[in-house]
Amino acid sequence: MDYIYSILTLTGITMIGVMGTYMVTGLTGQFSFGQAAFMAVGGYVSAMLALKYGVPFALAALIGSAAAALSGLLVGMPTVRLRRDYISLVTFGFGEAIISVLNNSAQLTGGAEGLVGIPKRVDLPLVMASVVVCLFLVACYKNSKYGRQCLALRTDELAARSMGIDVNRLKLVTFLFASAITGYAGVLYAFYAQYLEPGYFNWTVSAEWLIIVFVGGINSLTGAMVSAVILTSLPEFLRFASAWRIIIYCIIVLLIINFRPNGIFGDWEISRLWKKKTTVKGGQA
Amino acid sequence: MLQNIFFGLSLGAVYSLVAVGFALVFNILKFSNFSHGGVMSFTAYAGYLAYIMLFDGHISGSWMFLAIVTTAAVVGALTAIVIERVGFRRLRRNNAPVIYYFISSITLGILLENIITIFASSNFYSYPLFFSSNNIALFGTTFSVADVVTLLVSSGALIILLLVLYRSKLGLGVRTVSFDVNTASLMGIDPDLVVMATFAMSGALGGISGVFLGMNYSLYPQLGQLVVKGFVASVIGGLGSITGAVIGALLLGIVEVALIGVVGSGWMPACVFVIMLVFLLVRPRGIAGVIVQEKA
Amino acid sequence: MRNRGLLLKSLALTLLVGSGLVSAGEIVLGNLQDLSGPTSVLGNAVTRGAELAVDRVNAAGGFKGDKVKLVTVDTKGNVQEAIKAFNRLIDHDNAVAVLGPPVSNIGLAIAPMANEKKIAVVGSFIDPRVTVQENGEAQPSMFLIQPTSTQYAEIIASYALEKLGYKKFAVLYDQSNAFAVSMLKPFKAYIEKRGGTVVAEETYTKTDKDYRAQLNKIKSANADVLYIPNYTQDLVITVKQAKQIGLNLPMVSGLDAAPPFATLVGDPEAANNIYFANNFSDKEPQLTEVRNAYRAKFNEDPINKAYLGYDKVTVILKAIELGGGATGPQIIAGLSKVKDVQGTTGVITISPKTHQPLGLSMVMYKIDAGKYQEIGRYVPESHK
Repeated sequence: MDYIYSILTLTGITMIGVMGTYMVTGLTGQFSFGQAAFMAVGGYVSAMLALKYGVPFALAALIGSAAAALSGLLVGMPTVRLRRDYISLVTFGFGEAIISVLNNSAQLTGGAEGLVGIPKRVDLPLVMASVVVCLFLVACYKNSKYGRQCLALRTDELAARSMGIDVNRLKLVTFLFASAITGYAGVLYAFYAQYLEPGYFNWTVSAEWLIIVFVGGINSLTGAMVSAVILTSLPEFLRFASAWRIIIYCIIVLLIINFRPNGIFGDWEISRLWKKKTTVKGGQA
Repeated sequence: MLQNIFFGLSLGAVYSLVAVGFALVFNILKFSNFSHGGVMSFTAYAGYLAYIMLFDGHISGSWMFLAIVTTAAVVGALTAIVIERVGFRRLRRNNAPVIYYFISSITLGILLENIITIFASSNFYSYPLFFSSNNIALFGTTFSVADVVTLLVSSGALIILLLVLYRSKLGLGVRTVSFDVNTASLMGIDPDLVVMATFAMSGALGGISGVFLGMNYSLYPQLGQLVVKGFVASVIGGLGSITGAVIGALLLGIVEVALIGVVGSGWMPACVFVIMLVFLLVRPRGIAGVIVQEKA
Repeated sequence: MRNRGLLLKSLALTLLVGSGLVSAGEIVLGNLQDLSGPTSVLGNAVTRGAELAVDRVNAAGGFKGDKVKLVTVDTKGNVQEAIKAFNRLIDHDNAVAVLGPPVSNIGLAIAPMANEKKIAVVGSFIDPRVTVQENGEAQPSMFLIQPTSTQYAEIIASYALEKLGYKKFAVLYDQSNAFAVSMLKPFKAYIEKRGGTVVAEETYTKTDKDYRAQLNKIKSANADVLYIPNYTQDLVITVKQAKQIGLNLPMVSGLDAAPPFATLVGDPEAANNIYFANNFSDKEPQLTEVRNAYRAKFNEDPINKAYLGYDKVTVILKAIELGGGATGPQIIAGLSKVKDVQGTTGVITISPKTHQPLGLSMVMYKIDAGKYQEIGRYVPESHK
């Protein structure tokens, strides 16, 4: 049972992390290549608060997510002014910089040897509840005025600007929201795994999240979530293939990208199942 | 001081070969080709395989080096062509957003690295010693022969590349396609052929870099992860510009070495990040200053 | 709920074993290794060594009539994967004990789960925190069969300071590598307590491939000796580049300088004047047999991690014998009783207090012009 539990829990945490990537990349079309760094910020800040000052979990989680949002502000402010091409580079550089800071402040963070002894405060029900709440928040954001503006921005930045959308502010707000959510994923991870190490949060994790978002369909939150579930549990089903499993995983991803060019779901959202009816009704009336 | 600049330059020389292989593909398809790292690891091992199976005992020294570099370059070119067919041809047909190319390239990079891991990762391997391991003293600093060869061969490869790009019909085709695919194909250029040729060139450079990395650092499956340095250098250099990538790589090498001297290597990535950010804000076109149509 | 399940399972197993029903049964050993990540070379070597040990036991009719089965799962060198993989070994494959990785980070991450599930993990994770908790008590389920980084670094430090007489030390280490960091701290503490000084401390990180700037700083620090507790591929770069800039210091290192390191360098002038401590002596007879079997099966020479894989199986099987059965708690009890077991890397005795091996000495080697020279076993005064 614990095996299934651990897969579900870690998948849930990945889903929340992927939501951050979905917002930055899927909604505003910026290419976040260091999203895992926000997870590191959230995880480390909350874990250190709990370890060093005995801060209760709920408060630590809140401060951890806020710290991730704050670092999102620091990176986001200059980044949104840059051309899109450079955002991947800057977010990548930020990820590497965070890792080097964590490695360097060994007295505080435990350095490369990692932070041990974090109390276990996270279990499957909490993660599942968190997934639902975060999903709700992100879906609301997507359907809000901001979300629609984001869509306009991603499709044609110049046109969006000329329609009076404050593009930079919009990018920044989305970026902040995304960092906070990814930071929260880090909090959950820290208090579930009970162990943090800087090397875990490197660019390959961010790249994996990007792969997940694109395989699911860049415009679809539903797609991103479904593909998060599939792609994080796929390697587990492939365990029988031992060393070949990563190769099989890669081939499956390549097939999807090649033969479903818009990802599995394109821009289809699960909410259409019940929204379609209302449109049809509206059409009749 | 002078010595540190030399260190930076020779480090930059290694980066530049990687960055140019990167920039070539960016030039034409406008995405950061992370499968290049996989190509480097793959060819480094292919060169080793050729060494133990074909060349060992027949030739040695510089001839061996030449043979291995050639093999690796050929294997690299072929690998890159296969990569293009498997990973990107269909995407181009579908007019997929550039971002998908990127995802595809990362996946291919992971794939190549894991193929090596399966077949060759229960031990470390290394190339034989190609050159005399003596140092050459010059201008009050010392170089190893391997360093000088690295520098010569990389500049040679880059010059040949520039000649091909700017003095041949193929190069004209590459530049045209990089400017606008549709117009190019209207003008009777076969974009498939041009893209394939570009990948082959990039792969050949990847092969050469792979051998250099293997020669200087010994062989292990993650060797190609140096590709991130090439990524940084080519983006700073100005997207898709070959000369920009070289300058970016040399600068990155010098800045890294200088920062190690000033703040220590621990804080170096953090400082590189800040410098990069400031640079991009001040000069958003990159070093080369070519304005590329904004894509992803 | 979960505990009851475990209880029932172990009860059932004990009954079965007791009644002799599963006499021709199977003992499943889990093997948690990095097969595809950054430390895959080490993980694959451990796995091959372990497979060899299991093959030999089975070829000889199994362990007391039971076939031993090794189930290997991949961690990708990644903590998250390791958590899933560990749970899989226990829940899905019903492993009764687990061979741990030679990587401390993974050991630290799975320790809480292993303790909860009462499944022993026998590994070569040398960070002492994996086996001993902060309050000084042993982690109930974690066992180490190799000297800890503290013991290890102290042996090297003592040798350099007290035997070779060096006083001024320079260090160069990978700051992003837990192994290197854990080998550095006790080393510094040891020499600074005994009159040595660290005159230069330089670092690099995983993606750096050029250490000449650091080595140049070390050159001007006027040290007697350079300590490099890093992974093999980094050591190759270090000695090559040290030679290049004319840094002519003797060096001391961890067991990553063991073969094939000197062959990898390929330059006898660069791989010169390096001291390191290995787990075993190449000449010892117990190795020869294993080495020959390894060569016959895999067609290449084993690296030292392969021997550790072999010994992990030996030790776990011994613990099943001592603990009186092949269940998690019995093996844990048995491991605390392991005494004077002849492994390939030495005679292994596990301390019940720390779950670390007792009195494992190290064999000092010197690399002289690309050739390995054995100096002999060395135990510092303070360890006697």
